Amino acid sequence: MTTIFGIPAALLFGQLLLGLINGAFYATLSLGLAVIFGMMNIANFAHGALYMMGAVGAWFLLDAFGVGYWTSLFLCPLLVGIVGILLERLILRRVSHLDHLYGMLLTFGLALIIQGLFRFAFGSSGLPYAIPEALSGGTNLGFMFLPHYRGWVILVALVICFATWYAIEKTRLGAYLRAATENPALVQAFGINVPAMIMFTYGAGAALAAFAGVLAAPILQVSPTMGADLLIVIFAVVVIGGLGSIKGAIVAGFSAGILEGLTKAFYPEASTTVVFVLMALVLLIWPAGLFGSKTQSASTSVVLPALANETSLMRWALFAAMALSLAVAPVFVYPAFLMKAMTYALFACAFNLMAGYGRLVSFGHAMFIGTAGYVTAYVIKGWGFPPELAILAGTASASLLGLVAGWLSTRSSGVYFAMISLALAQMIYFVALQAPFTGGEDGIQSVPRGVLFGLFDLSDPAVLYVFVLLVFLGGFLFIAALVRSPFGQILKAIREHEPRARSLGFSTEHYKLAVFVISATLSGLAGSMKVLVTQIASLTDVHWLMSGEVILMTFLGGVGTLYGPVVGAFVVVAMQNYLAALGAWVSVIHGAIFVVCILAFRRGIVGELISYVSARQARSVAAGTRADAPDVVARRLKAGA
Amino acid sequence: MSVLEARDVSIAFNGFYAVRNVDFALHEGTIHAVIGPNGAGKTTLFNLLTKFLQPTGGSVYYRGQDITGEGPAAIARRGVVRSFQISAVFQGLTVRENIELALLRRSNLQWRLVGHARRNTDLVRRADEILAQFGFDREADTAAANLSYGRKRVLELATTIAMDPDVLLLDEPMAGLGREDIDRVAELILEAAQGRTVLLVEHNMQVVSRLAERITVMVRGEVLTEGSYDEVSKRPEVIAAYTGGGH
Ligand SMILES: Nc1ncnc2c1ncn2[C@@H]1O[C@H](COP(=O)(O)OP(=O)(O)OP(=O)(O)O)[C@@H](O)[C@H]1O
Ligand SMILES: [Mg+2]
Repeated sequence: MTTIFGIPAALLFGQLLLGLINGAFYATLSLGLAVIFGMMNIANFAHGALYMMGAVGAWFLLDAFGVGYWTSLFLCPLLVGIVGILLERLILRRVSHLDHLYGMLLTFGLALIIQGLFRFAFGSSGLPYAIPEALSGGTNLGFMFLPHYRGWVILVALVICFATWYAIEKTRLGAYLRAATENPALVQAFGINVPAMIMFTYGAGAALAAFAGVLAAPILQVSPTMGADLLIVIFAVVVIGGLGSIKGAIVAGFSAGILEGLTKAFYPEASTTVVFVLMALVLLIWPAGLFGSKTQSASTSVVLPALANETSLMRWALFAAMALSLAVAPVFVYPAFLMKAMTYALFACAFNLMAGYGRLVSFGHAMFIGTAGYVTAYVIKGWGFPPELAILAGTASASLLGLVAGWLSTRSSGVYFAMISLALAQMIYFVALQAPFTGGEDGIQSVPRGVLFGLFDLSDPAVLYVFVLLVFLGGFLFIAALVRSPFGQILKAIREHEPRARSLGFSTEHYKLAVFVISATLSGLAGSMKVLVTQIASLTDVHWLMSGEVILMTFLGGVGTLYGPVVGAFVVVAMQNYLAALGAWVSVIHGAIFVVCILAFRRGIVGELISYVSARQARSVAAGTRADAPDVVARRLKAGA
Repeated sequence: MSVLEARDVSIAFNGFYAVRNVDFALHEGTIHAVIGPNGAGKTTLFNLLTKFLQPTGGSVYYRGQDITGEGPAAIARRGVVRSFQISAVFQGLTVRENIELALLRRSNLQWRLVGHARRNTDLVRRADEILAQFGFDREADTAAANLSYGRKRVLELATTIAMDPDVLLLDEPMAGLGREDIDRVAELILEAAQGRTVLLVEHNMQVVSRLAERITVMVRGEVLTEGSYDEVSKRPEVIAAYTGGGH
């Protein structure tokens, strides 16, 4: 038997073929993402769900109506394309005038809803789909055996990629598309209906995703969750290729697939992470990706609810009210729930520090809470660390990770930043899944709580509760002080107008990195506390769903407000507790809340409350003092009635 | 002596030269204006001098030192501070906070994670002075977003001056201002120019003739001519450029 570098040739070619096939899917999917991104500036989180709709749709059409593969190959993209058009027209368009971040969050919510609904309808186990008659069997190429269907996938993907590239780069329609991304107003003035163009572009991207889904149905596992994990790899691929670059998407897609295949042959353990490692390396050298020219322009900022007119008395009163109610709450509410909610609240506050005050919305914050959790659990169980040292170790590990991840990601902003953080987090997820010390699928269980400082026995529920409460309040106070400190002011300024902040001499990248590390550290602290509370460190904590949850908590409660994330965390944790029985519906509900929150009350619960109160204040002041000189009004406003 | 100098700088966007082989020197203590039709590359030149854009060719010097490799923040810390063509104030901060921010940069408080800038009395006093100087005493605690457009431009100037810069680069400081605002801002610029070097881009020729001692005319990314207002305004090629004839 021939071997190449000590690997049997047949195995090598087999893996190479598999890699090529995966590459074909990566390329087709990232192509759609790139087209959508180019047009709408959003990273389409629903892309995985649309791909899944294609595959599950093909299965369903066959199962229910006996519609075969070839018909599905046209019908599914058509149907999903229509769904895409409707999504754009009815939902995404409503936020198109806002920061693109909102569009991205909407697609995230939509993805959760679609995936949840499909899981409800089709279960989460694999659905079998046969290779079409005409393409069954294979050919022996001499050096390897090529199943016909796999050859077909590669061929058709290449054709699709080339056709899309040609349509966008070489035709008149493509020229309009490209012009509209650069200057929509101008193209609109030429008499071209830009909104319709955007709508159809999204539809086309959706159709492309569904096409890939149907292609995948006979060879990959068809299930409602098939799109979610793939999507994150696709994001990494798009980042490698350069956001918005068609050529980049295609080249990076196939290269990533092949690289993955080769890694499987030579060093299988690393095959799931290799694409993310490649992404990190590419970013180190080319921050905009291989073919990316378009650096994300700073878009209009998310308007934060202004906490105007508050006095320090008010601030302390609010804080005391929160501290007191949390102190007496265990009498009325299950303490385990409260402790869990407080750790998540700390996590959300840490996230908000970055998302709200730094305008860096990370989609990978789970990596910090998760890593700290694993480290804490491991040093307690493996090395017998006392809790205080274990917390320190966990928190420090999150800071360190924050330093590396922040260094890689804060050089970009907006959508790019979100995608990079997500991809980095996914790398951590795979490490956690495979590393020898994390316990794989089981995680690290029954972690003893130990004795804090050798004095306080944390296995006593009351002691544990007080400890968690103090840590939460401490973290909260720190964040509250940070926001008002000179450093916090500078962050706010960077958020508002980064070029101006730089022209005043602030090295904005240092501040962004600093806030990233601080946020990571506090998230790590939350992760360590969570291990002490739940006594388990598991994969769910590093999963992207956790990153999604913290975004949900923060936006639901009110991004950029101090108390918003706390409120959001309590609401979300309560929902999880009380809705757990609903299974798949939880994700649908999460998604729906996301969508409603972004569409209807972007400021979040606390944000809306603040706006309402300030508006009423302003009105009553205006009504009561109409005769007063303006400066009197101003002074009253300042006093903060 | 030239404080800020560009030698043979160029920048191309996808093959299109927005600034091409420009040599330009800004002399100490002068008020210097760059004029030229829309799209001539004036803002781009600003971006190159302050390193908001990296030139594709050529180098930039500050007091004889090559600063081509430095970033915008580093250049601002050297004392070369710019304003923006589109008003750039921190909308969500109050007027006072906008000023304080510039002062913070020059204090040692910028990495303070807790505590409040307000506790530093020097900083507060300096902020009060600047607020008074620019007539903001009454609006000090208003959010910058609530100022009128003209006042925002004045605030931007005030923040720039709070930095106590060595060189001020002002990109169309009068754009969007009404008559009386223009006169006031012109006064403020003249006042700020005491002991400093000022470079400004401006379309309002009255303002240019009143403020600038030296004028550079740019057309299509290149320097057309340079001289005093009277010299420049008489040259036929300048008139041609403005009437659309090119050169
Ligand atoms: N980032 C960029 N990418 C592509 N082209 C650019 C970029 N910045 C400037 N340009 C182009 O360079 C040319 C010069 O632009 P610039 O803004 O410097 O002109 P200007 O002289 O400041 O004009 P105005 O008086 O209208 O402000 C314009 O044609 C502009 O379209
Ligand atoms: Mg300009």
